[in-house]
Amino acid sequence: MMKRILLWSFVFLTFLLSSFPLFWMLFLSFKTQGQFGLQNYLDLMASGPFARYVLNSLVVALFVVLGNVTLAAMTGYAFARKSFHGREVLFATVLGTLMIPKQATMIPVFILMTKFHLLDTYAALILPFLVDGFSILLVRQYLLSLPPDLEEAARLDGASELRVFWQVVMPLAKPALAVVAINAFLVNWNSFIYPLILTSRQAMRTLPVGLALYAQGEHSLDWGHLMSGSTLSALPILLVFLLFSRQIISGLTQGAVKG
Amino acid sequence: MRARQTLLFLSPWLLTLAAFYLFPVVYSLVLSLLNFNPLSPSATTWAGLANYVKAFRDPVLGKAAVNTLYFVVGTVPVTTVLALVLAILLNRSLPGQTFFRAGFFVPTLVSMVVISLVFKQLYAQDGILNQALSLLGIQGKAWLLDERTALPGIMVMDVWSAVGYYMLLFLAGLQAIPGELYEAASIDGSSKLSQVFQITLPHLRPVALVVIVVNTIRSFQVFIEVFVMTRGGPLNSTLTVVYDLYERAFYRFEMGYASAIAYLLFAVIFLVSLIQARFLRLGQPVGG
Amino acid sequence: MPKRILFLSLLVFLSCAPRDKRQKIVFWQFWEMPVIQPQIEAFEKAHPQYKVEVEQLTWQNGFDKIVAAFASGQVPDLCELGSTWAPQFASEGVLLEIAEGIEPMKSHYLMWEPVTIGEKIYGFPWVVGTRAMFYNKTLFARAGLDSTKPPETWPELLNDAKKIKELEKDIYGYGENAGERHILYKKFLPFAWSNLGSVLSPDGKKAVLNSQENKEALEFLVSLLPYAMIERQDALDQAFKQGKIGLLVSGAWLLRTIPQDAPDLRYGVALIPKPDKGRGIHASFLGGEMLVIPQKAKNPEGAIELVQFLIQEENAGALAKAVKTVQPATREAPQDPYFSEDPYQKVFLEQAKTAVHPPTHPKWVVMQEVLNDAMEKAFYRKKTPGQALDEANARIDSLLAAP
Repeated sequence: MMKRILLWSFVFLTFLLSSFPLFWMLFLSFKTQGQFGLQNYLDLMASGPFARYVLNSLVVALFVVLGNVTLAAMTGYAFARKSFHGREVLFATVLGTLMIPKQATMIPVFILMTKFHLLDTYAALILPFLVDGFSILLVRQYLLSLPPDLEEAARLDGASELRVFWQVVMPLAKPALAVVAINAFLVNWNSFIYPLILTSRQAMRTLPVGLALYAQGEHSLDWGHLMSGSTLSALPILLVFLLFSRQIISGLTQGAVKG
Repeated sequence: MRARQTLLFLSPWLLTLAAFYLFPVVYSLVLSLLNFNPLSPSATTWAGLANYVKAFRDPVLGKAAVNTLYFVVGTVPVTTVLALVLAILLNRSLPGQTFFRAGFFVPTLVSMVVISLVFKQLYAQDGILNQALSLLGIQGKAWLLDERTALPGIMVMDVWSAVGYYMLLFLAGLQAIPGELYEAASIDGSSKLSQVFQITLPHLRPVALVVIVVNTIRSFQVFIEVFVMTRGGPLNSTLTVVYDLYERAFYRFEMGYASAIAYLLFAVIFLVSLIQARFLRLGQPVGG
Repeated sequence: MPKRILFLSLLVFLSCAPRDKRQKIVFWQFWEMPVIQPQIEAFEKAHPQYKVEVEQLTWQNGFDKIVAAFASGQVPDLCELGSTWAPQFASEGVLLEIAEGIEPMKSHYLMWEPVTIGEKIYGFPWVVGTRAMFYNKTLFARAGLDSTKPPETWPELLNDAKKIKELEKDIYGYGENAGERHILYKKFLPFAWSNLGSVLSPDGKKAVLNSQENKEALEFLVSLLPYAMIERQDALDQAFKQGKIGLLVSGAWLLRTIPQDAPDLRYGVALIPKPDKGRGIHASFLGGEMLVIPQKAKNPEGAIELVQFLIQEENAGALAKAVKTVQPATREAPQDPYFSEDPYQKVFLEQAKTAVHPPTHPKWVVMQEVLNDAMEKAFYRKKTPGQALDEANARIDSLLAAP
């Protein structure tokens, strides 16, 4: 019993310490010109383009999440379970794509999008991120930690590969897929540099860019609006996290591994 | 038949690779062999390996490399261990479990630009950190303006913002471990702690690969924090490789040289990841 | 089902929208939409054959976007460029040379230097933003100084800063910049120029950075350090607003934020002090925003018409009055009562007259780095001012010698 209390206190204290900057941010978000209130939030929500920025971010993030949870998962499965010529090399390219700094590929990607006539479209913000190396990696690793028994059983029963994937593997991989979903949403939602250079019209801006335009002046920072904007921006991801993290609770998925 | 189906499964990745990675990768590789000024692309000349040679002789880049290495070594192990500990603690049912998980995860939700701005204020001479320290009787200073404390300050912020994220990955990995193993071990009389070492850690190997390798890759590429908080100063103490690369590409217009730096960095990251995967034997499936 | 049909027909409808017959002008700039939009609308009204597509860039990363655009050839028709970036673009030959109709315009505007290479002009000045000296009247009074007489010379500045620092532990006499390497040269050069020093020789072929005048200037700045708060510009601005700093060199953006954040602050604005009563000038850093037309612009004619509209006194003036952080680049601006009757704006315009622009050299960007480096080393006491400048001078000389 004592142990439990100690553990809990440790967790709680660490939690307080690590939340300290966040509480400060929240505090700042309610402060405007020396007074406290919701003014910053109201300003943002009333500012016309803000709603559009949120919509754009949502549309893009949603598609990216869908793509990663299905397409990237397929690829991860192939790497984990199938053996084929050049598997190691191809997997190395997966990791390789994570290793090249964005700053070096920014301009060629911009040129590419120009050539494809995709500038200022949702496609430019979605397609390159639909199948992300990190998602592939995560699914592969997770599947490697699961025994292939159930899949073998299904195959013996005569199920097609696609069926095995959809009906056996995907449910098993739920925790990994949950993380893939959260990660894909998160990375895309806060993505700044690519939306900045790939979109021009105000109607196509995403939230981070919109917020920077609104709150970051040349020589001064609008703390109140920046903090309230960031808080509002964090809410959808928090929602996604809470939604998907149910998949990552002990006990929910364990039963499936039994014979 | 099997081969064709495998191809089907791999096709999304192959398409993405061909459409969005091949061109930029080849383009920047070619750039690294040229003297390319983005403002006047038509004045490009061939440089061959000159950019690479220059990189090895560049003392500023050398400093950046040392700083980056220091950053990686200082943050990856700490983040990994903290994330692991938190994941294990928050995996068992504890009152407020979901609340805590969400709480630790929140720093990840906020964009790094905003976090950097917030910590920049926090670390200021009259910032909140120093105010808190003065309550304990400790005299604070402008942390980001001292070449000895600037980089450590950024590292602390980085660990703070990343722990929740990797905790999440570990939590996912923990779900794959059959509960029966723990039950059997308890019946055998082994303590909770030794169960962690005997059962949990080995089963977490594949996920640990993701955590360590990805964290390393990302840490080698640290940029936003430096851009927002210090711009590489004071006295180049927070200059990182990617920041140096960026400055050269966009402010000095030496894009060929910047690309060479990018590829050298890539080579280093690749090697390190390879070593990590082999040395930690993290790529192998867990026995049934 | 019906929802899907609705969605599809909406798509079809949108793609069949009537085509706009007007000529497009793509304009990239940094100001907020509520500020620039009225001017765009006025322009479109006066020139109905044009449709302007405005894009607002972020101050922090907009430059990356501009570079990417030039690198890929996908350039806007008209682009706003900071005065410190413009010389680089001009010297690379990627901007349209303005030949026609420029002569009569020249005398009406300040700040042609950033877009002038030799005799040729590659852009237009839009708004200027210089730096002046802010001082806290309350602190002056407390230190026994005459709050109507801000320091005019370096010895006076040093003396005033000293007296104010002695007041209290957390009060500083002066605000000195550190921690933002990339702007340090902007803090040093005004003092160097005031002392009649310069970076390059008049023909631009030799570095004269380690001249006696420059060394005196840097030594003076270092001598202020013990009485100064050493922080980044935004932290210094903040501290000034909180009444913690006596004297601070800053920009007109403070005029906008002080009424918001510190309405009770009693402050004044003065010209940057010169070395001594009979010596030197009240120099400051001349900066601002230029409007340039890329060589590869698709609609240069439209762009020129737009520029000429924007830089007119009333329009540039309207922009300046809306944002309060800059002044129009026109020479008539000081006669506008808005500026001439405002005690603070008046000083800024006065200061702009003796403000200097850094040398327009293709390698200026690298020289900036060398200067910043020297500043840092001097401020962090790694080198004496003399040593730092000697080293920087050698580096600039080798830069000039290289092809």
